[in-house]
Amino acid sequence: MSEAGEAIRFDGVTKRFGEMTAVDDMTLTIRQGEFFSLLGPSGCGKTTTLRMVAGFEQPSAGTIHLEGESVESVPPYRRNVNTVFQSYALFENLDVFENVSFGLKRQKVPKDEIRTRVNEALELVQLPTRSDAKPNELSGGQKQRVALARALVNRPAVLLLDEPLGALDLKLRKQMQIELKQIQREVGITFVYVTHDQEEALSMSDRIAVMESGIVKQCGEPEDVYERPGGEFVAGFIGISNLIEGTVADRDRVRIRSGEVLPAPLPDDCETGATVHLSVRPEKIAVDEDIDEQMVSLTGRVVGRVYLGVSTQVTVALGDGAHIVALEQATYRARADDRWEEGMEIRVGWHPDNCLVLR
Amino acid sequence: MSAIGRRLTRSRGGEKPAKPFDRPRFLHVLMGLFLLWTFAPIAIVVLFSFNSGKSLQNFEGFSTQWYSDFFGDQQLRDSLVASLEIALVTMVVATLLGSLLAFGLVRSRNRLSPVTNVMMLIPLVVPEIVAGVTALLLFTQIGMKLSLTTIILAHITFSISYVTVIVRGRLAALNREVEEAAMDLGATRFQTLRLVLLPALWPAILAAGLLTFALSFDDFVLSFFTTGEEVQPLPVRIYSSIRFGVTPTINAIGTLMLLVSVSTIALALALPRILGRRGQTVLIGKDAV
Amino acid sequence: MSERRFASLTLLPGAVWLVLLFLVPLAITLAISFGTTDELGNALYGWNPENYSRVFDPLFAPVLLRSVGYAFATVTLCLLIGYPIAYYIARFGGRYKYLLIALVVLPFLVNYLIRVYAWVAILSDEGLVNGVLGDLGLTTDGIRFLNTPYAVIGGLVYGYMAFMILPVYAALDRMSPSLIEAGKDLYANGWQTFRHVTWPATFQGVLAGAVLVFLPAVGDFISAQLLGGPDTYMVGNLIQQQFFEANNFPFGAALTTVLMAFLLIFMVFYLRSASKAAAEARA
Repeated sequence: MSEAGEAIRFDGVTKRFGEMTAVDDMTLTIRQGEFFSLLGPSGCGKTTTLRMVAGFEQPSAGTIHLEGESVESVPPYRRNVNTVFQSYALFENLDVFENVSFGLKRQKVPKDEIRTRVNEALELVQLPTRSDAKPNELSGGQKQRVALARALVNRPAVLLLDEPLGALDLKLRKQMQIELKQIQREVGITFVYVTHDQEEALSMSDRIAVMESGIVKQCGEPEDVYERPGGEFVAGFIGISNLIEGTVADRDRVRIRSGEVLPAPLPDDCETGATVHLSVRPEKIAVDEDIDEQMVSLTGRVVGRVYLGVSTQVTVALGDGAHIVALEQATYRARADDRWEEGMEIRVGWHPDNCLVLR
Repeated sequence: MSAIGRRLTRSRGGEKPAKPFDRPRFLHVLMGLFLLWTFAPIAIVVLFSFNSGKSLQNFEGFSTQWYSDFFGDQQLRDSLVASLEIALVTMVVATLLGSLLAFGLVRSRNRLSPVTNVMMLIPLVVPEIVAGVTALLLFTQIGMKLSLTTIILAHITFSISYVTVIVRGRLAALNREVEEAAMDLGATRFQTLRLVLLPALWPAILAAGLLTFALSFDDFVLSFFTTGEEVQPLPVRIYSSIRFGVTPTINAIGTLMLLVSVSTIALALALPRILGRRGQTVLIGKDAV
Repeated sequence: MSERRFASLTLLPGAVWLVLLFLVPLAITLAISFGTTDELGNALYGWNPENYSRVFDPLFAPVLLRSVGYAFATVTLCLLIGYPIAYYIARFGGRYKYLLIALVVLPFLVNYLIRVYAWVAILSDEGLVNGVLGDLGLTTDGIRFLNTPYAVIGGLVYGYMAFMILPVYAALDRMSPSLIEAGKDLYANGWQTFRHVTWPATFQGVLAGAVLVFLPAVGDFISAQLLGGPDTYMVGNLIQQQFFEANNFPFGAALTTVLMAFLLIFMVFYLRSASKAAAEARA
């Protein structure tokens, strides 16, 4: 019944807790071997979705198919998926080896094979020497690797990861992101990764589903989601969206609130006078001397400056009260910093192609 | 002088606070007198249990005659055995029922749990005499003859709540994700119970059990109301003896009971910590009720 | 079977036990309190509310009042003695805090009966105190300590002191010392600081301690029995008499019910005040 290469299929899956709908009519397919992320703010339903795949929650409506088979009424211990929990959830009374071999023991795998596979898994997560340690002797990063090994050693069809890097410090997190991606490539297992960190999702995933209040707002490859956000929420959640409100002036121009009329790539079916939002990514905005003739340009006033090391964020107030953020990279071509002071007048501009129209 | 006291006098420029609540020396004395007051009577009982004479005023010499008297007295021996029996049975049954109740209260979410919760908490605040009266009336009105069995039934009834509160505190503090992880990795519900839940829970269960033992062994009022005529638990025999006047044998019995209670409580506190050294710590959570 | 259903099942054994052996007896007690006795002394069900009016009969009412009075006295003494002790341990205990608490609690692990008995032994006419006084030549016949209200209240205080100290200590321990320092900056002396800062902050603990002491003290009969006499009878002795001497179960049940009702009202007041204070603290 399933198409080839389908790891998980959601068909109209809904989950209600009393009056509250956590997941609302979700229909999507996760392909085998892909690194798929569920991205969204707290409470958007991404963890609930994961738990339904794992078997800890039952859908209120709809079905979930795992490798073509429906998992309705299949308990978690009989599903071919494994979970890496946010709190690691290691067995404190067992050592690392016993933790990692737990799943294999339940499957009655012979002892020699257990030893081989556990050692393989520990090698994979780079913890080959810590089999005898107890969880309370390990650091956060090490516990995370044990949790990962414990899940992967069972060779599940799908690995579910629930914000696994949330408790780690930034540097370790970045390092683990790279490692996780490498491991996934090596092992070839489908990863379903839940996170609220859009940078994490963008850097690791093959595809991302952006969720809000139980609804999947957009599902696509990272570049799609970033460059062509399918709506205000996605535009705002991923990166800084810089929304400028305006009305449709004619087929390819928008009149913004301060009166200027700017060229913009309007879709064909826009009615004149309809309200739209122009969305431009900060890094696509040019400032002062960098503005060329093909760009749209506006004048504004600097109202804020944030120094980020690798770049400087400048917040500009446009005539109509809208604020946009421009990003100035501190590349080898950049001029001296401290250029922009609050209150200074500034010209900003962008290519009409880099602007997105949201309705 | 304490650190706080030093800081205070410094900040006040050398002015010495005049009120007794600030001067530790007065409180040192008070504390000492208090400890003296609380320990002295017990120490005297223990001391005079080894008195070779009958007097309660003069210590005449060292002797263990009162202990031999105690162990030589058939009735007293039977009472001791009875007390131990009652405590043991109460411990086993109350721990079982109380632990199950704790599990149910934490893990089920039906409409009856709050009611059951209240019902479980009431015995904790009921005065012993009320407990005794209600138990006695139950047995007489249903025509059950008073005996060790009735004592045991009453003890269990009023011990369940202690077990439930202790076990529930520990249970509520456990990370549910660890049990989910076990199931995720292929352990059935029963296996998860055996491999994850019980190892984490048993220190609290053990502590609750030992506490129940100590409370039951020491219990007087409830036993007094529900005891039959033949064999009576030790505290009841002591009470009858005291009514007829103080005899030195009571000192010996008192000392023995003291030993049993204190060592049981000490075990209850120490054992879980020693045996459960592998990662388990707190056995009574802060929000136990 | 889902976990929730399994968990609901585990509730059953304990719940059933408590209903049968705790709630049902309460109901029986209430029912019998309206009953009478037959010639053999067996309790019969009926409708005799005069059992209750008898409770407040001039013969028995003083006993009730006395019980409440003794209990209040016990609470007061426990507070006066226990609060400074708790204060000492919390504020000046330092490294030895836990040791001190353990020492304070240790005597209370001993059987209450034994502890009262110890005082009987000490205070009786042939007891230690009189012996020492006689040896010192201070008295000839000895002083009668027992069979007085002081002995009974003393026994009660000795018995329940720990129940006051522990909650008060917990409240004091939870207070941050900087609160007191701030108070000292604001108020002229230690007493003011105590009155305006420390006391209000620990009031909940004091209340808890008061309840934990009052409830068992009112119904206590051991102290009154062993350390006192007919003049110091408390309601507990009265109840005990009905069941073991007078064989008047219905009247005993009525007394017990009145005691329970009184304590229930007391508890309601406490819970109201406690939740009000908690709400204020949160605001």
